Amino acid sequence: MTKFWIISDVAETSYELLGKARELLGDQEGIITVYLIGNETTGQEAIGYGADLVKLMELPPDTTWEQYAPVLVQEAQASQPEMILVGATRRGKDLAAQLAALLDSPCVTECKSIEYDDGKVILKRIIYGGLAEKIIECCQFPVIATVASRTFEKWTAKDASREGTIEKLDLPAGVNVQVVERRSKPQEVVNIKDASIVVGVGRGFSEQDELKMAEELAKVLGGEVACSRPIAEDLHWLPEDRYIGISGQIIKPNVYIAAGISGQVQHVYGIRDAKTIIAIDKNENAPIFQVADYYIVGDLKEVLPALTEAVKEVKAANKG
Amino acid sequence: MKKVVACYKWVIDEADIRVEEKDHSLNFERAKYKISEYDRNAIEAGALLNEEKGCEFLAVTCGPNVEASLKDVLSRGPASISYVNEEWLADVDSSVTSKILAGIIKKIGNVDLVICGEGSSDDYSQQVGPRLAALLGYASVTFVNKLDITEEGIKVERKLEDGVEVLEVKGPAVVTVLPDINKPRIPSLKQILAAKKKPTEKISLKEIGFDINASQPKLKTLSISGTVMERKNMQINTDGLSIKDAALKLVKQLNADGSLA
Ligand SMILES: Cc1cc2nc3c(=O)[nH]c(=O)nc-3n(C[C@H](O)[C@H](O)[C@H](O)COP(=O)(O)OP(=O)(O)OC[C@H]3O[C@@H](n4cnc5c(N)ncnc54)[C@H](O)[C@@H]3O)c2cc1C
Repeated sequence: MTKFWIISDVAETSYELLGKARELLGDQEGIITVYLIGNETTGQEAIGYGADLVKLMELPPDTTWEQYAPVLVQEAQASQPEMILVGATRRGKDLAAQLAALLDSPCVTECKSIEYDDGKVILKRIIYGGLAEKIIECCQFPVIATVASRTFEKWTAKDASREGTIEKLDLPAGVNVQVVERRSKPQEVVNIKDASIVVGVGRGFSEQDELKMAEELAKVLGGEVACSRPIAEDLHWLPEDRYIGISGQIIKPNVYIAAGISGQVQHVYGIRDAKTIIAIDKNENAPIFQVADYYIVGDLKEVLPALTEAVKEVKAANKG
Repeated sequence: MKKVVACYKWVIDEADIRVEEKDHSLNFERAKYKISEYDRNAIEAGALLNEEKGCEFLAVTCGPNVEASLKDVLSRGPASISYVNEEWLADVDSSVTSKILAGIIKKIGNVDLVICGEGSSDDYSQQVGPRLAALLGYASVTFVNKLDITEEGIKVERKLEDGVEVLEVKGPAVVTVLPDINKPRIPSLKQILAAKKKPTEKISLKEIGFDINASQPKLKTLSISGTVMERKNMQINTDGLSIKDAALKLVKQLNADGSLA
């Protein structure tokens, strides 16, 4: 395999994918083309990270980025890439799947690893909401794979003076999707991935006001409040950057305290690497207890305030 | 009248799968099937367009034993279901699924809007929607949480990592929907009874011109291995310990573990 493509609407992710492509290419002669949203500077950065040819895209003001699909199909027919790595943002996954259909190609979503062995590509991904890992073999080219940010490392041999070509990629005219408005999301100030203690809240909370109990506990512990997907996506009680799980944040805190969270696989996937897991649920058969180190069966309205008091007491004793 | 089709997948309920501790294999003995979680939102979106906008609303599916799903789905709103039921569809990839669904949709004809879930509960490859759009020559609009049908097409809001895109689409489209687009109904007894009288159409691969040899899966599963977690599983409030005392015991334990520092 010597002809790689990388496509990403996030430049940073394209540098990571370049790291993977460089690794797969090894010391063979080859060509790596990067399609990214950015300007000359971003393009030069990509060349430093291992790109040979950069094609600059834009986030079109009046249509969606995925409208590049037919242009990319023409490019692929001309240059015949063998592997296409796409940054697995929501836009990236949409574009990758369209491209796969138009090129009649295989596509593997959110790969955790990609290896090449004797004419075969071996890819790994997670299925059943985080319950299992699937190893996939593919011998048909081009193979398209989407990869989330921070899955692969950037190329260690980065060289800012590397030479390459930068071109501009044009969008097709006359598209039928119109952007009426783009509203950017307010940036979260805290990153729950950095918190060493996280209190997770779930649908066991019957009103938004009850979240105060979790906030109090998080505060005395010096931690942050996070949640299950429905709390963020359906109820909008907390920002979406705070929901944990396979489709949300993956965290590795010292202590995770789940309150009113039943413990479905999709959620548990996000806390697998927590050092200690504590669960509070009123249902003694809640699956969350099977993945907990310590648990209390009880009403969170009673347990959370009791925990807050206990933490204050123990911390005071520690000091005194 | 606009014609709307919802696609759904009949999947194994992942909550019923057990991971065997000795070899990490998956045990499906107790597993039941369900309508893939977010496809319920797709079906509900279609049902609402029927009830509120007078659209014609149908459902389509394909898979190894989808006949078991028909009554459940029909009680959720579609006027009928067209489906392909084939054993060998048990382990196919999104390229095969999307070709069959596209074939069924073309056979139905003049479909204005196709609605899919954002991803299936089992594989979550999130490809069928955009692949269908490409195969049908429709616009692809993914991750939608607001959807309205207009004279010329549709108006939607899609939720992306960096914010919201409000879009207007002229002509036919495939959308994939997020779980917060609606709250799927729990069918009433009346809807369940009415479902029994609704028509279903079993479609052969031949009828949609699907050539098995030319459209083999492109991906081969080498292995599936469950993940297991070693945890202490200690209940704190045993032997009639009050919540207050249990809380203190737990915090002292954390303190002793060095977790509070
Ligand atoms: C493709 C896909 C991806 C998904 N991705 C994610 C993801 O990334 N993250 C995620 O979290 N979910 C995800 N989900 C959803 C997931 O399957 C569950 O639906 C969700 O995690 C359940 O949230 P919950 O535990 O808060 O609610 P529930 O399952 O409703 O659990 C509520 C719990 O609270 C308990 N309870 C109720 N009242 C009290 C009380 N007073 N005191 C104490 N306990 C109480 C109940 O006994 C119950 O155990 C995904 C689903 C799919 C299909």
